[in-house]
Amino acid sequence: MTPGRRPAESARACVSCSRRSWLLAELSGPLDYQCRDRGRLLDLLELSDGDLLRAVAGRRRQELSSACARFDVRDVSPAQGVEAVCRHDPSYPPALNDPGGPRMLNVAGGLDRLRALTDTPTVAIIGSRRATDYGMEMAKSLARGLAASGVTVAGGLSDGIAVAALAGALEVDGRTITVVHGGLDVACPVGRRSLYRRVGQSGCALSELPCGCGPRRWTHAGGERIIARLAELTVVVEALDSPGELAGARIAQALGRTVAAVPGRVTSRASGGTHALLMNGAHLVRGPVDALELLYGPQAPAAAGLATAQDELEPRLRDVLDRVGAGDDTPGKLTRAGEDAGGALLALSELELLGLLARGDGGRYVPRHSAA
Amino acid sequence: MLARAHTFTIDGLQTRHVTVEVDIRPGLPAFAIVGLADAAVREARVRVKAAVLNSGYEFPARRITANLAPGDIPKAGPGLDLALACALLAASGQLPRERLESHALFGELALGGEVRACHGTLAVAQATQDAGLTTLVLAGAHAREAKLVEDIDVAIAERLSSAVRVLRGGPGDSLSAHAPGTAVARAPGPDLSEVRGQHHAVRALVIAAAGGHNSLLSGPPGTGKTMLAQRIASILPPLSRPEAIEVTRIHSITGEFAGGLASVRPFRAPHHSITMAGLVGGARAGWVGEVVLAHNGVLFLDELSEFARPALEALRQPLEGGRVAVVRAQHSAVYPARFMLVAATNPCPCGYAGDGDRCRCTESDMARHRRRLSGPLLDRVDLVTHLERDAAHDLREAPLTSSRKARERVTDARERQAARLKDDGVSVNAHMDVRMLLGHASPDLHGEALLRRARESGLLSARGQQRVLRVARTIADLNGSERVRARHVGAALALRPESGAEGSRAA
Repeated sequence: MTPGRRPAESARACVSCSRRSWLLAELSGPLDYQCRDRGRLLDLLELSDGDLLRAVAGRRRQELSSACARFDVRDVSPAQGVEAVCRHDPSYPPALNDPGGPRMLNVAGGLDRLRALTDTPTVAIIGSRRATDYGMEMAKSLARGLAASGVTVAGGLSDGIAVAALAGALEVDGRTITVVHGGLDVACPVGRRSLYRRVGQSGCALSELPCGCGPRRWTHAGGERIIARLAELTVVVEALDSPGELAGARIAQALGRTVAAVPGRVTSRASGGTHALLMNGAHLVRGPVDALELLYGPQAPAAAGLATAQDELEPRLRDVLDRVGAGDDTPGKLTRAGEDAGGALLALSELELLGLLARGDGGRYVPRHSAA
Repeated sequence: MLARAHTFTIDGLQTRHVTVEVDIRPGLPAFAIVGLADAAVREARVRVKAAVLNSGYEFPARRITANLAPGDIPKAGPGLDLALACALLAASGQLPRERLESHALFGELALGGEVRACHGTLAVAQATQDAGLTTLVLAGAHAREAKLVEDIDVAIAERLSSAVRVLRGGPGDSLSAHAPGTAVARAPGPDLSEVRGQHHAVRALVIAAAGGHNSLLSGPPGTGKTMLAQRIASILPPLSRPEAIEVTRIHSITGEFAGGLASVRPFRAPHHSITMAGLVGGARAGWVGEVVLAHNGVLFLDELSEFARPALEALRQPLEGGRVAVVRAQHSAVYPARFMLVAATNPCPCGYAGDGDRCRCTESDMARHRRRLSGPLLDRVDLVTHLERDAAHDLREAPLTSSRKARERVTDARERQAARLKDDGVSVNAHMDVRMLLGHASPDLHGEALLRRARESGLLSARGQQRVLRVARTIADLNGSERVRARHVGAALALRPESGAEGSRAA
């Protein structure tokens, strides 16, 4: 691992690492094909440029080899506001500096900020792309609590759980890192643009691919390996019991990082994956307190910014909150036994305004914090 | 010789006074009608000739010119036949002309000389009164409809010869016992007592009906959205007399007159394949749309997300102003269209969101579904009710309320609103503007605190706050409370629609 040539004084990425990034973008098609086997994809990403070309380039090998030889770093000139940094630079996050990690990063938000973010403990909150309202609220409250305690929250932009977590962390102006599955300028999903912008204002967005590279299936898998490396602790909030949904957790486990999962109802398929993780020894996380304990040990600082209001609730609100948590989560169910309908609606509204309940799908209410 | 007769033509919901002038001159036998007549009026020549001859009168073999004045408005429909025939008889000296000046004639002629009734009789009777004419001569079938207008005489002419008798000063025909309109009170539709369970939704429905609030029912298939919506008409208060006349007039023109003054509020449920023209009118001249037919009643849109976007967009004007202006190449018209909108939808494309694990929709499916619903239409919805698939409720359990009891509460609440709003030009809470809200719906301290917290936490926009206040005012009215209290605000908050800002679950 010798430092390569530096193309210019200001650039923090050497030519060989920039070339790697360019090459991955060129090989997007073949890599996408290999993506059907995630393990093989991760192995491929560890190969050197030459071996990678031999393994996947096929008929384009000659052409790409000669293009590699002629590679000019200006071919991958980053977009406005994006800085490149490679693993030969001292400011490169050490957590990423292993053979399976990315060779270089394009960073939106500034290298100094990235340094500050990766120097604090980082928790990745990941999960299903088809999350339920329960999962969303859990991810949000978990991220809110962690971010308020100064922990950096990391997550992608494609799965609903990670998006909810980033939104939750931003609610308390917390530290956030997101990994974009493609070029920083083009690969953000349309529906996430406003979130992406907000992350960019106070946190960082990372990508190992050059600007202009569109998102592909394999870039998701590639992004998951970056997120798993960034975080000391990976929390799966809600995931189906399928290899695709658990891929991030598997990578973190393989790296020896702590993996935790939030339980759901055992009857819910949406939590099947997290239950499988828990069965296989993942730590159980009910809320920010548990996650902080996993990060810092028993001397964990008290989770800041948590709704202490929960403890000083009026009995009637407490009662409604408990019943919603236990499954009577619609006005209809709350008043089934003939209780005062107006009172129940008032209590639900008050709890929503206190930030203890949120509206879920189909008129249901979802507790925003786990029951203490 | 020249003779004149008065009649009316119908243009949309308007009636237009038409003077039929008939001139008979020596010359080659001919019968010409001028004055922007449509096909049905031009065909009157044939009908009038046959009817005159078959009634035993003489059809002059000279040059006949009929002019329909004023000449710049199009005349439509066969209702001008009777006036044309009578003017022709007067011009040919077979009928004295004096009474034609004070009588209006309205009816289609059959070849044998019988008079047939035409749509729009009530409107014509009102126009007869407005035009200062004393008597309306028309077929017996619609006589009861015309008699709803009290200040004119209605003379029944079952045949052309009877009309001639009336115009000579004789009596009209007597009303046949079979004529429709013997105070047929239309059944107010299915009853609320048939609804089992869904108490929350029933309460919300009563609130919506009491305040005239536009509302959205959301729920999985089979939970009774349509069933509930169909029962709204049965809990709305009966029509007031001016409202009833308006509704009856519309029914009369569209040919849906059921006899007697309408007593039940209209309930229109167009299929979701309806076009914009079908909804607001204007497919052809004088064609009124569903929103007009729902005037003073309920417009129910089942499967809201399946409606064509342009059709829904066209609802904005009537929802805002209570009337709809239809402007087309050949014609333009303004119709009354003040209705209560009730829409029903599934919570997601598959219909099972929030219902355990059954929902198979991805997040982007949900976003698309929400996008289809949201926008200008939902902006005008005051309350949203979620129906749930409730396996626990028993089909034999007692219903929450019956339509009669609910209607009494609704009527009480509406009377309270009408008394409070009598100086403001509106009659229900749903139509209150900001100024009226400040005057009539300012909540007590605790309620104000709830609203402030909702505003500060970003759950409520300024517009959303107005909607919550309107609904809270109605809930207070239903509970007989002068002041809007915290519990009313709290309930209104729980029923509020999602605001656009928090449309996306995650961000």
